[in-house]
Amino acid sequence: MSQNETQEEKVPNIDVERDVGNFSYQTTYDYDAGKGLTEATIDYICDVKGEPDWMREFRKKALKVFNDKPIPLGWASEDLKTIDLDRISYYMAKGRPTRSWDEVPEEIKQTFERLGVPEKERAFLAGVEAQFDSESSYSSMKEELFKQGVIFVSSSEGLMKYPEIFRPWFGKVIPIGDNKYSALNSAVFSGGSFIYIPKGVKLKQPLQAYFRINAEEMGQFERTLIIADEGSEMMYMEGCTAPQYETSSLHSAVVELVALKGAKIQYVTVQNWSSNVFNLVTKRGLALEDAEIRWIDCNIGSRLTMKYPAVVLRGERARGEVLSIALAHDGQHQDTGSKMIHAADHTSSNIISKSISIGKGRASYRGMVQMPRHLKHCKNNTECDALLINTNSRTDTYPAITVRGEGNSVQHEASVSKVSEEQIFYMQQRGIPEAEAMSLAVNGFVNDLVREFPMEYSVELRRLIDLEMEGSVG
Amino acid sequence: MDKSQSLLGDAVFETHLKSLRDMPDWLIELKKEAWVRYKALPFPVRKNEMWRFAHVDGLALDDFVHDDTQGKRECELLICDCGADLNFSDDAHVGGKTLSEELAKAGVLFMPLELAIREHPELVRKHLFERMPDMGSEKYQALHVALFSTGVFLYVPRGVQVELPLQSVHSATREGGSVFPHTLVVAEEGASVTLFDIFRSSKENIRHFACAAADIYATAGANVRYRLVQAWSGNALAFHLNSATAGAQSVVDAITINIGGAHIRGEQHGRIIGKGGEVIMNSLSLARGKQEIDQRTLQTHDAEDGHSDLLYKNVLLDQAHTIFSGLIRVAEGAQRTDAYQTNRNLLLSPDAESDSLPGLEILANDVKCSHGSSTGQLDDEQLFYMLARGIPRRQAQELLVFGFFEEIIAKIGNPHMADYVRQLLQDSFSLQ
Amino acid sequence: MSLEISSLNVSIADKQILKDFNLTIPKGEVHAIMGPNGTGKSTLAKALAGHPDYTVNKGSALLDGEEIFGLEPDKVARKGLFMAFQYPVEIPGVSIANFIRAAVTARMNKEASDAFSATAYYKALYAKMDELKIPREFTARSVNEGFSGGEKKRCEILQMAMLRPKYAILDETDSGLDIDALRIVAEGVETMRGPDIGIVVITHYQRLLNYIKPDVVHVMYGGRIVKSGGPELALELEARGYGWVEKEFGALV
Repeated sequence: MSQNETQEEKVPNIDVERDVGNFSYQTTYDYDAGKGLTEATIDYICDVKGEPDWMREFRKKALKVFNDKPIPLGWASEDLKTIDLDRISYYMAKGRPTRSWDEVPEEIKQTFERLGVPEKERAFLAGVEAQFDSESSYSSMKEELFKQGVIFVSSSEGLMKYPEIFRPWFGKVIPIGDNKYSALNSAVFSGGSFIYIPKGVKLKQPLQAYFRINAEEMGQFERTLIIADEGSEMMYMEGCTAPQYETSSLHSAVVELVALKGAKIQYVTVQNWSSNVFNLVTKRGLALEDAEIRWIDCNIGSRLTMKYPAVVLRGERARGEVLSIALAHDGQHQDTGSKMIHAADHTSSNIISKSISIGKGRASYRGMVQMPRHLKHCKNNTECDALLINTNSRTDTYPAITVRGEGNSVQHEASVSKVSEEQIFYMQQRGIPEAEAMSLAVNGFVNDLVREFPMEYSVELRRLIDLEMEGSVG
Repeated sequence: MDKSQSLLGDAVFETHLKSLRDMPDWLIELKKEAWVRYKALPFPVRKNEMWRFAHVDGLALDDFVHDDTQGKRECELLICDCGADLNFSDDAHVGGKTLSEELAKAGVLFMPLELAIREHPELVRKHLFERMPDMGSEKYQALHVALFSTGVFLYVPRGVQVELPLQSVHSATREGGSVFPHTLVVAEEGASVTLFDIFRSSKENIRHFACAAADIYATAGANVRYRLVQAWSGNALAFHLNSATAGAQSVVDAITINIGGAHIRGEQHGRIIGKGGEVIMNSLSLARGKQEIDQRTLQTHDAEDGHSDLLYKNVLLDQAHTIFSGLIRVAEGAQRTDAYQTNRNLLLSPDAESDSLPGLEILANDVKCSHGSSTGQLDDEQLFYMLARGIPRRQAQELLVFGFFEEIIAKIGNPHMADYVRQLLQDSFSLQ
Repeated sequence: MSLEISSLNVSIADKQILKDFNLTIPKGEVHAIMGPNGTGKSTLAKALAGHPDYTVNKGSALLDGEEIFGLEPDKVARKGLFMAFQYPVEIPGVSIANFIRAAVTARMNKEASDAFSATAYYKALYAKMDELKIPREFTARSVNEGFSGGEKKRCEILQMAMLRPKYAILDETDSGLDIDALRIVAEGVETMRGPDIGIVVITHYQRLLNYIKPDVVHVMYGGRIVKSGGPELALELEARGYGWVEKEFGALV
């Protein structure tokens, strides 16, 4: 740990820097469902949470779907086979969520303080949700938002307290059987956020969730449902870290967004799991008439990430966007991408994806753009650029585009390159050392996307890229 | 139609073996192994990535037979002032103009494949079925090996430049029948040659099966131009399973024109195996009616300094369906690769569907690789420009469509062949 | 005989650009329309040619007494209105020879077009090309594809010469910087000029008028013509710039 400690002193207070998250506290859990997944695990979770019967049935149905669905090896990474589902803990929690940091158990509080969460809350957030392993430990929102009718609670609380809003949309954007891992999440989900923004309410500051895995061989399955009512606007940010263990952990989230008529949702992720975490996430938004959903996604950590944020453009003139940055280092596979499902006339979508592969890292882009029915005047534009730093770095691009209808147009462009030698030489000639020149060039490559992140994140992203680039030259 | 000769039963293969005359043992063995492979492999399913988006239900071959016992004479078809031509009808050689004495003296071979197997076994054997595309149609590849009886063998010795293009025409004439034309082109060091390979049915609307394969080998510094015109009947089910292999500093330049067929599956695997090799793959398809044109491509870079360039253009009318699925695969160590891939789809009907899957797998960093895919309608501004000159809308649209074709036609590199293709397109287009 | 535009109101994407615009171009005359950027000069050209993005809300344009608004763009063109594009569109794969031929035969009845031989066509085409000093290899190139600015202008003038319009509108709004292109347009106009054609040259810069001597100069501002005069008006604009136009007429629009 001593090396990590010094690292931390050099660059304090960076919640996306990998080593800062690399610590853990010994803690005793009040609840532990034990290892392995059976119906008993589900009963345990339901009992602890005191959930209604319909949810117990939903979870059990999902477990069956999960067990029946094969691992998608036809196209996905073979590495999925190495996940030992019997060694994972599916539910571990301590204490109940509270609205005051003072009431959070000490070691959990210390964890989030060390990650700078309370500080950020004071500085620029409208609300914070902090999840420690399976449950939310802290959940708070500015007073004025309560008054406007905004709901920002953990998903467990949402389902118990606001069933009339929660239930109609829950599992509708992403059905249980969408894929094997969405079924897994549906069976054992715990934590995550439930958010409702009332008609016309426009949040000026973002809501933030912070996901922390502390225990070894932990499975974190948060579930987020955001409903933006007509004409409302909101931004949600999530960050995540975990300590580096020898064994692997699993993070499998499901995030459902619903943007009703004219609403706007921006969902920002900075994923910095330690490199022992499998990160298998299903994210999809439903955009109705004139609504807009933007996924702004940055993947830096994890061993294998599989994540393809999607927008279903259900209403006329709806817009969808995915902006994505991925950094794949040695031993990492960032398998990311996007899906745009056009389901109404005059809908438009935009995808920009940039990836950087360093060392033996592998970055993949998988895309799906569909205009399958007799739609009119839909547009999609996709750009994927990959940068390869070392001779053995790898990148893949696998888009699939289906178009029919009238007046629709789809453009897809992708390129792969290395950092230009001319560029590096030019900078060296001005006295900049090679490694720094490389960092500058890489930062330049992702610059236009980094700018789309909230300022507080973009500064840190840039610094992180510098750190990731260290020692990658030569 | 003799049902006992169905492609699903063993009788057809036994009849085929009996029909072969003076074939060497190694070939018979090859065929026997292939037949076993064909029987063992499953028919394609859509879940398989290699068949994504494809309609696989019509591929079971249950209503086709094959009969080697009778050949039919077909009228010859001359397109250009060619160096020589070979004409085939229902997998039998039916004549053509032989090579000039000069080329024959230089050692150029252009002859029916079965003759080459007998007369030049060592030349044929080296490359015959050496590299097939292996892109999802392995079952049909095996069937092709098992049942082929003839085709083109073109061999150009070291340093020989064949100036005039060579031509071959493969015709299918039987309702419910099947053909397995094979084309093998080998160009030795520094050799240069052009082959027009034309596939057609004797009558419009006959329903038959074709499973063709063309393998091209360009040795160091060789230059091969291969132009394939697929003009099967509008009811044909056809596979074209092609490969192009480029050695050091060689160029294989392949163009595929798809005009006919009810259901076409095309596979084209370009491999660069020698430093500085180059593969060019272009294609133009006009899809009408309920046609499905399913094309899969692979650009494999196994050597340094290779260059590959691909442009596949589709025009879709009526309820047609096209699939372009392409992959550039750069192996580890294949540094300084330049590889490009472009797919353009022009949708002229609201009921047509195009699927585009342009892919990249890059395992070397010092590369320039890109791909692009666009799908859309005729450009409004181009159309307006034409209207503003007084050209009526329909005519303007047609001019623009032919303008879209022209980018590929211009690459054919022979005015007679280009005109022939233009005429085929014109005829097909005006049928609507 | 004239092109008579009256009370013309045009909008694009719900934004009104031309407001009660009036202008009459008699045959045999060359008019110049000048004015600051964004004042609606290009809109006038596009709207007359029938571009689908431009909505004519009100007004009429009579070409020798015949209304052209509401007609398809190709009909307007065949009635005798030619627009030289500010930015000619590139059309890959369609050769200039085929393109112009399609445009020429579209103006003929079936009999005449059947009788119109390739030889006769090329004879006419080459004659015009020689006159405009365009090399003959040009005909095989795709329309405007990869052309320099000057070549594009030359190609527009060639089309105008071949199609013999009754009225021509040359939209040269932003191309003032390319002196070569300007000269080509000017020479083209001078060659075409005569009693059978009315020409409108739209330009931002006075420089074009160094090469063309217009009969009438109009100043356009805020979607309408605010001042008309002889060639001396162009000189005044050159000397004083457009600032005074805004000062003097800003209140009117």
